[in-house]
Amino acid sequence: MRSPIPPIPPRKSQYGIDPSLVKKRVSELPGMTSVLIKELFPDMPDIIYPTDKGIEAVRKATEEALKHVDMSMIKPEHSVNILASHHGFTLLGGEPYAEMLKTLKDVIQAKTGCKDIRLRAGVGLRFRETEEYIKRYGLDKYFNGKAIGIAPIDEGVPIETEIGTLYGIKRAYDADWIVHAHNSDVREVHFHRQVDRAVKPFGMSYARIETRSTYHQNMGPRAANFVARAIFDSPFVQKKFAFACFLTVAPHGIIGVDADNDLYALNDRITFIGCRYYGKMMTLLGSIDECIVALDFPCPVVYVFAGGVIYANFAGANTDLYDLDSVPLPSYTWYTEAFYGKNGKPLLEDIPPLNPAIKMCIHNYAWVGYPSAFFSEHIPTVVVGREQADLFNRDPQNLNYMKHALIADDLETAMEFAYKVTGTRKVLIFDGAIGGINLSEPLAEYLLKKAPEVNEKVENELLPKWLRQRGVDIRIRDQVGKKYAVSM
Amino acid sequence: MKLVNLIAQVDRGKCVGCKTCEKVCPVLAIKVVDGKAEVDVDRCRGCAACEQRCPVYAISMQKRDNPLLVSVDIASVNYDEILKLCSNALLHPEQVVCYCTGTRAEEIAAAILKGAKSPEDISFMTGARTGCKVECIQPILRLLEAAGVKSTPPQGGWQWYGRTVTVWEIPKKVREKHSSRGFYFDEDEKLLDRVRTAPLQGRGVK
Ligand code: SF4
Ligand code: SF4
Repeated sequence: MRSPIPPIPPRKSQYGIDPSLVKKRVSELPGMTSVLIKELFPDMPDIIYPTDKGIEAVRKATEEALKHVDMSMIKPEHSVNILASHHGFTLLGGEPYAEMLKTLKDVIQAKTGCKDIRLRAGVGLRFRETEEYIKRYGLDKYFNGKAIGIAPIDEGVPIETEIGTLYGIKRAYDADWIVHAHNSDVREVHFHRQVDRAVKPFGMSYARIETRSTYHQNMGPRAANFVARAIFDSPFVQKKFAFACFLTVAPHGIIGVDADNDLYALNDRITFIGCRYYGKMMTLLGSIDECIVALDFPCPVVYVFAGGVIYANFAGANTDLYDLDSVPLPSYTWYTEAFYGKNGKPLLEDIPPLNPAIKMCIHNYAWVGYPSAFFSEHIPTVVVGREQADLFNRDPQNLNYMKHALIADDLETAMEFAYKVTGTRKVLIFDGAIGGINLSEPLAEYLLKKAPEVNEKVENELLPKWLRQRGVDIRIRDQVGKKYAVSM
Repeated sequence: MKLVNLIAQVDRGKCVGCKTCEKVCPVLAIKVVDGKAEVDVDRCRGCAACEQRCPVYAISMQKRDNPLLVSVDIASVNYDEILKLCSNALLHPEQVVCYCTGTRAEEIAAAILKGAKSPEDISFMTGARTGCKVECIQPILRLLEAAGVKSTPPQGGWQWYGRTVTVWEIPKKVREKHSSRGFYFDEDEKLLDRVRTAPLQGRGVK
């Protein structure tokens, strides 16, 4: 068996405990190993990062992708807002996304002569998160002091759409042109269901609370994504939209950069990537019969990564998150969470429970800043270290998290307890290991055995269905195939 | 219901009087007086919106010596009135509208029945919208509207701007134009109808 892959190190942040308090990583425990994504699915595309070419490969790929983009609408005297989102900075340590943003600035400036190029970086529910990234990657300097974090409670701007007035963040749109700089990582499939993934930030990280609440409360789990499309299609946004540039990502790394003046064309390509590559990982993880989950990543509980899949998605992996017809409400999404009544049961009988394969959750290291009590309420959870418990008790979004969780003094005690109580030796570690998954030996064997049949099922049965449900022509396979080489 | 265990504290030496905190506070508990921000300790619900947006990092969140439990007792109003209000707002009374505090629609409705006239009143009375500060504004506005309360946003503030569309209101032509691209309007409308009319699990019970 392979040794574990070094996990993403703890990161200093106001949303997490001090890195010095993370005494041990779960992958350092006895019996832990790793599997490479390429071992599981040999037909995953080649990656451009991380490789021995370093971060320069991201710069090159961005420059290459931008060669085909029309920027003639941007004049030297104009202003441009490059719109970014926090999520990009959580991918592979954040450097590739930061490099793409820097390259974007350089290319726009070189191609158009425009000098007033700003970075506006949106957030989720941690309003200072992108401020931290801007500092960490030197983006404030790179953008000559014109890089700021924007939050959904900042001043708004009304946007007239075909479904009425929605609201954006004023400073996202305070330029002549906007450039949509995002990534194709699927992350919250439970919310967006891989419908208009490329468009989503217009309804989220660039949007005000009214819009985000519309998405999460007014529309329903599968109609919600239209909120973003309505904003993007509005005359207000269309007048400013120049082009989009995306870091394209698969579960094992960055596979390229895609840029286009036509966001919907780009959207179809990343829908394909999302369904095909992440669909395989999710289907595989969904086949796990029992396991202990370990959280060990500098991100809120729901967003910790294993094999490119976040914990929130694994918590719903007992259902097919990509299947829009058969799964109206996944096991976890905010609509689902909202629909649990007072006796702790779903209001509708057909609402599925959180993934019953998760027997226990060991929370070794994860951040606050996202309402996560639903998880500790429904999955037995042990939090390592009192400092971490205190942090959750001080977070306005998580005042109930520790009500349902136990505290262990150290990781070893927590794991021992989990092994004893659950009776399983299968452990899945969400620690952002790059290129593979850290896990226990019995689970590694299980996944390696299951992967070939999952691969076949996704390619032949599920992928065509998923694309059909989204109105994406399966022939896009050839177009995308040409873009991303596969070395077996 | 929320246990308010934090309070905002202003470092007057750092404060530049920009009023950002005033514009984002969901309960109007912080105001600039003579060029410096001041917190009303009885009103503050410990949401940290001001601390997270102050441009000069002049605000910190401190532990309250005596945490404050804020809630509206649903037993203190006629539950039939709550049912009526939630039904008009197309919400199930037991559905959670604020994920951070676990506040259900019925408690918001009770706050309105007890005199809340704005989202600010509701947040002050129930603690809803003092967690993430983002996701629950629409059901709150829907419930106020269903009660016939005409609320206007705080003048000059950024607390909220207005109610937006619900799935029931999506025009037919929009549905027809876009449903082939994975937007399940009709199906989700039916789903939400099933939810809002689902049986109660604990009528009137806390
Ligand atoms: S946001 Fe900060 S600087 Fe501005 S008034 Fe409030 S405390 Fe003072
Ligand atoms: S309620 Fe929130 S925004 Fe208002 S003063 Fe208290 S912490 Fe600040």
